[in-house]
Amino acid sequence: MQIEYVKGKIMEGRQSGFPRQYGPERSDHQPGIPLFPQEATRDLVVTFILVAMMFFLSAFVTPFLGPARGPQLSELIVPDWYLLFSWGLLKVADIFPQFTIGQGTPLKTEFSAAFWGDLLSGIPVIFLLILPFIDRGREARPAKAPVRSAFGLAFLIAWIFTSSLYSIREVVAQRWVSPNGAALIPDFTMKWFFIIPPVLVGLTSYIALRRLGYQPMRRWLVPYVAGLAAIVVAQSAWILFDPAGLGVEARPFTVEIAIALGIIAVPTVAVAAAVLLAPESTARKVSTWAGALGLIGFLAFYGGVAYLDQPRALGWVLSVLWPNMNTLVLIPMFAVLTAWLGTRRPYSTYEYLLNECYQCGKCHTVCPVTKVEDDALGGLNLVYNTFKKQHDGVPLWTCLACDACSAVCPLDIQYSDYILEERAKVHARMAADGGQRE
Amino acid sequence: MLETDQRQVPRSHAEKYELKTIWYWYPLYCLGGISFVAFIVLTITGILLGFFYVPDGRLEIDATSGNLTNPAWRSMLTIMNVIPFGFIIRGMHHWAAHIMIAAVFLHMCRVYFTGAYKKPRELNWLLGVVLMLITVLFGYSGYLLPANALSEGAANIGINMTRASPAIGDQLAILLFGDTNTLSGVYILRWYWVHVFILPLVGTGLMVLHMGLVWLQGVAEPH
Repeated sequence: MQIEYVKGKIMEGRQSGFPRQYGPERSDHQPGIPLFPQEATRDLVVTFILVAMMFFLSAFVTPFLGPARGPQLSELIVPDWYLLFSWGLLKVADIFPQFTIGQGTPLKTEFSAAFWGDLLSGIPVIFLLILPFIDRGREARPAKAPVRSAFGLAFLIAWIFTSSLYSIREVVAQRWVSPNGAALIPDFTMKWFFIIPPVLVGLTSYIALRRLGYQPMRRWLVPYVAGLAAIVVAQSAWILFDPAGLGVEARPFTVEIAIALGIIAVPTVAVAAAVLLAPESTARKVSTWAGALGLIGFLAFYGGVAYLDQPRALGWVLSVLWPNMNTLVLIPMFAVLTAWLGTRRPYSTYEYLLNECYQCGKCHTVCPVTKVEDDALGGLNLVYNTFKKQHDGVPLWTCLACDACSAVCPLDIQYSDYILEERAKVHARMAADGGQRE
Repeated sequence: MLETDQRQVPRSHAEKYELKTIWYWYPLYCLGGISFVAFIVLTITGILLGFFYVPDGRLEIDATSGNLTNPAWRSMLTIMNVIPFGFIIRGMHHWAAHIMIAAVFLHMCRVYFTGAYKKPRELNWLLGVVLMLITVLFGYSGYLLPANALSEGAANIGINMTRASPAIGDQLAILLFGDTNTLSGVYILRWYWVHVFILPLVGTGLMVLHMGLVWLQGVAEPH
């Protein structure tokens, strides 16, 4: 009897097979935004703002013409900003071995610094051309494709940011100097910028993005953060205790330098210990506090020394920190940041995942509840409408959490997880209200 | 003929399927349009500048001051100081170029990070990569043209990088720059023609194809 009732309900008002209409005959056609006047107005506004910006810039920041060209080149040639990366790669290319192959043949190739620079500038182009053919996966969102996103960010840092910075290495060397006249950011530090910041950015983004997808990241965090902390401690100890660590001129300021290194190393070690030993929620709190206090402590120290700086201690402290910028400045920052990002609670991930739904209606077809609920027969998609808050609260509680919808979902969306979490939220709110229903 | 209310731009994925919009991506979807608007501004201001610019970089000695000068640079002085609104037109051309290159670069970053280059849009991604190279070449050729100290430095770097290519380096440099050094100033005329004819011809064609494919295939949104 009951079975007959259900069968009748299933077929009532429905054609067999796929229930939605497709093609030009579709009656549930949802028109887009009309080109005129809506789209045209919006585009005109954007165009006018852009042209106004250009007028403003050309009126108040007139492009510089400079002297006419001549055979005498100026000492520092700086191309326009968008070619700085190539100029920087050309300058860093002298680290590569220089040799000639095919001597005496028409195909003689001289691996000079300029040719290495050409190759380095060509790498991004080749990478971009083959990209769609090497990355064939279907995931589009950055958080769903953490390897691609992290690699992209690391690549941008190395090939665009660092190489552009390196193209003005002469300016950097002249602009910031230590009290004994040496460059505060010497050439070898800037060369390491090509390796260390991209690796840090890449690994940190990878951990943070996987965490955004609710992955437990402790197996990544422990070796990464602990390794970074070990590097900071080893470098600080070497500077303080090895006779070759501090220069003779910096030795009178050992106390100040030790305090600065302590302010940098202690939060890093604390975060590493928390990630290693404490539960995740504690590790998150420790990383928040370590980051905040470390930053405040460093700024207070910097301001304090600058204020009390009778015998120029600050310059010597900076002459230790800045040449070791990769290890003593960037690594502690990234260690704390990674620990925080890798242990935080991702926000509204279900909303994020449900957004993938393109309403194919398969979940609706298999849902056992919509087949017997009278309310649901008017084409109501139980799960999706719950998510879109287009319901009176009933579908949330009539769901059986049988997961039939997830089983047929082409995008592999775990609906019942969402339903259960929404219910848990309601219970949590009820508990917070002293057991009273909303 | 379609009725007016049926004529519309292709619906985005989010509109089509009534998705909750992933709002933080949306401002990034105007970057392609911004580069196109900048390109139109560049075309208009470029046509105006073309009436007054003289593509001749050969060195001359100024009769009164005795300094080195050249017709291209002197025509720039005329545009900046004599032609009514000339400095505004040149400023617009300069800043629109910067905005276009920045927008194209950020547009490419957006396409990369939202995975919009994936099947079936591989061809459009390749067109986009070529268009980005064309945009950079537009920029490079553009700042060679004033025949000032910056042009000279940039041309020297360009010639040296070209000459470093194996086997055909010098021939390539002569083809692109007219010489293996900048002394003769022939590179101004070469890159003038690249800047005002070859690149606009190829670039406009590819841009039409690029936008046509977006129209046909729809906007790829992260879903």
